[in-house]
Amino acid sequence: MADKKTINSSKVLKIGIIIYAAVFIIGILFTLFAGLKLDINFSGGTRITYSYTGKVEEKDFKKVAKSVIKKDFTVGSSTSLAGDVKTLTVNLAGRNTLDTKTQESLTTKLEEKFTKNNIELYDSNSVSPTVAGTFFIKSLVAVILTAIFVIIYVGIRFRKIGGVSAAVTALCALVLDLFVSFFVCVIFRLQIDSNYMAVVLTILGYSLNDTIVVYDRVRENKKLFPQLDLSENMNVSISGIIKRNIVTTVTTVSAVATIILVSELFGLTSLRTFAIPMAFGLVSGCFTSLFVAGPLWVIWQNRKNKKA
Amino acid sequence: MKSKRTGKPVFFVVFILILALTYCAFFGFENYYGDTRKVIIKGANDIRWGIDISGGVEAVFSPDKSGVDITSDDMDAAKTIIETRLVNNNITDYEVYTDNNTHQIIVRFPWAAGESDFDAQSAVQELGETALLTFCRNEDQNDVILKGSEDIKNAQAGPDENGNFVVYLNFTDAGTSKFAAATAQLVGQKISIWMDNQEISAPTVNQAITNGSAYINGMANADEAKSLADKINAGSLPFALTVDDSKLQIISPSLGSDALDVMLIAGAIAFGIVCILMIVLYRLHGVIATIALLGQLAGTIACISGFFPNLSSFTLTIPGIAGIILSIGVGVDCNVIAAERIRDEFRKGKTIDGAIDSGFKNSLSAIIDGNVTIVIVSLVLMGAFGTPDSPIAKLFSPLMSLFGSSITGSIYSFGYTLLIGVIFNLIMGVLASKYMLKSISQLKFLRKPAFYGGKKNG
Repeated sequence: MADKKTINSSKVLKIGIIIYAAVFIIGILFTLFAGLKLDINFSGGTRITYSYTGKVEEKDFKKVAKSVIKKDFTVGSSTSLAGDVKTLTVNLAGRNTLDTKTQESLTTKLEEKFTKNNIELYDSNSVSPTVAGTFFIKSLVAVILTAIFVIIYVGIRFRKIGGVSAAVTALCALVLDLFVSFFVCVIFRLQIDSNYMAVVLTILGYSLNDTIVVYDRVRENKKLFPQLDLSENMNVSISGIIKRNIVTTVTTVSAVATIILVSELFGLTSLRTFAIPMAFGLVSGCFTSLFVAGPLWVIWQNRKNKKA
Repeated sequence: MKSKRTGKPVFFVVFILILALTYCAFFGFENYYGDTRKVIIKGANDIRWGIDISGGVEAVFSPDKSGVDITSDDMDAAKTIIETRLVNNNITDYEVYTDNNTHQIIVRFPWAAGESDFDAQSAVQELGETALLTFCRNEDQNDVILKGSEDIKNAQAGPDENGNFVVYLNFTDAGTSKFAAATAQLVGQKISIWMDNQEISAPTVNQAITNGSAYINGMANADEAKSLADKINAGSLPFALTVDDSKLQIISPSLGSDALDVMLIAGAIAFGIVCILMIVLYRLHGVIATIALLGQLAGTIACISGFFPNLSSFTLTIPGIAGIILSIGVGVDCNVIAAERIRDEFRKGKTIDGAIDSGFKNSLSAIIDGNVTIVIVSLVLMGAFGTPDSPIAKLFSPLMSLFGSSITGSIYSFGYTLLIGVIFNLIMGVLASKYMLKSISQLKFLRKPAFYGGKKNG
């Protein structure tokens, strides 16, 4: 038997419920009142490109544009292949399209502010949002398919401890983690771009892996200590692997934190949308796989046994 | 306890092999003949980075207006074909926008590795080719027998019996009967094969061909044959596209101009921190884990840079890097699980050999289950977001065809790096670290439980 103090996982679950309820309420409130920031890749939108000569700081350009547009937008810069045309592009996502009047006044204002730079309207496009629709459907399908395959695999591998219940509770933990990463994006006002999809998938991998380690230990302890009841077994198992979970999570989160830190030091802010939701999702994954999936599985199994 | 000893030299052999792989994967192997650099083994410098990291090219395609009305369906079809061509070239990072009002297709894709000699114009031209394959009577381009887009089921590149590179074609049922009729009629005459307005081959018909297959010869090399086969499989564009050269642009990296350097520094520091944590926590096992992780990383990089001749190079983007981070995390985890298990065994009072043996044995099922789950995730992603003719997509095609194909290179590249990383984790983290630890524990001066996380006085 473990020589350490055993953890009472259902007690921790109760604390967890309070924390997650708070995160959900804050997250939903932010989503409702502050809204999402979607990238143009996802939502379609407008792209207006200006050519210029000399040197225009992206920051100054953005400031001027902001005074006219008054909506969320991003600015990108580029140079033509021959190197003779330099451009700055304003991207507006989704329904934030600009009417011609605003476009005209933006052009006038920019010409006024950067008189020396010969600013001219180069190109203006509206980007089809149909792409975004199929992308989301496809992503959803991929996530559902993955879930089905994982349920089948976990169900077979862990059939001795009620495979389907193990798989479904693992998915519950996962869904919580994904919501946490989503709310982090909303609360920190981070744009949902294609990086976010990578974050979702990474969290999916970590969270499932964490939960599988829990069930693996439960399966083993069931063989070793058949006298333990389910919740005792779960508590012993969790106590046995909590250190592994913490070490793995601390190691990974410190790696991700290093990436955030170094890139912020060098002024590379665009990695935020990638690293911040990832870090929170990983911490959540460490917690939920131990204290959500585990105790839920115990409750499920106990119900089933009572009925039987 | 059966104790199959692992010999002492095993550690050094594995260690040197991993170091060699790491060196080659990062620095490659190149020769200079005068000023020309000839790459023998591709290193990390030969990785094609995504637009987000190192910038790229933006091209605006517009249809030749001479033709018919262009519907938004046509635009979507053209977009899908351009995407397929990009992914077939392992350019998994791109943005393709369609503007249905002005009938323009905007394509952004990253610079090739070692961007200096990159010819944007020709790359862009290749993307915009209609790729309409036609078989014509004699050498008259207007006398069409059959069209590639309608009558060809698939194409495949390969050597013929003489070792020349050819593209094999399989016709559809309708195509088979058309081709049989035409060849029966044209014995002794020529059939010409055209790609757009260029004649690529004009063989003489010897006899009627009724088996529904044909091949195109005259390919210069394997690459040309593969690229033609890919183009035929990707389908032809519903209309000709022209590139507006005045709008061809260099785009700055969306992450900022020095993103690549910063990320490399950040990655190196993060990897260092992970290794230090492992060594502080698990001492000798931590050192072994560090070597295994290095091997895993090197293996993954090698598969991305095109180090292995049969795996062509791959575009590395932020999602791709996320895949590597996840697989390294899984690698760390696998070593942590094993190291914790070995400690548990020491607590039970086992000897060094016994603890290491049963520690690895007990940890195996958790590691395998975790890794297999992640392999499933990566395979589904590659199947769902890759090109429809990839082997994995074919595996899932009964399921995937329900939802229509949509190619998303960035997600595909996440699945790819993740899969490669996990495979190398199974080789390095599971096999190599086990043999290294077992072997090194045979060295006399290291036979103290404290080195393995056991009690100091143990």
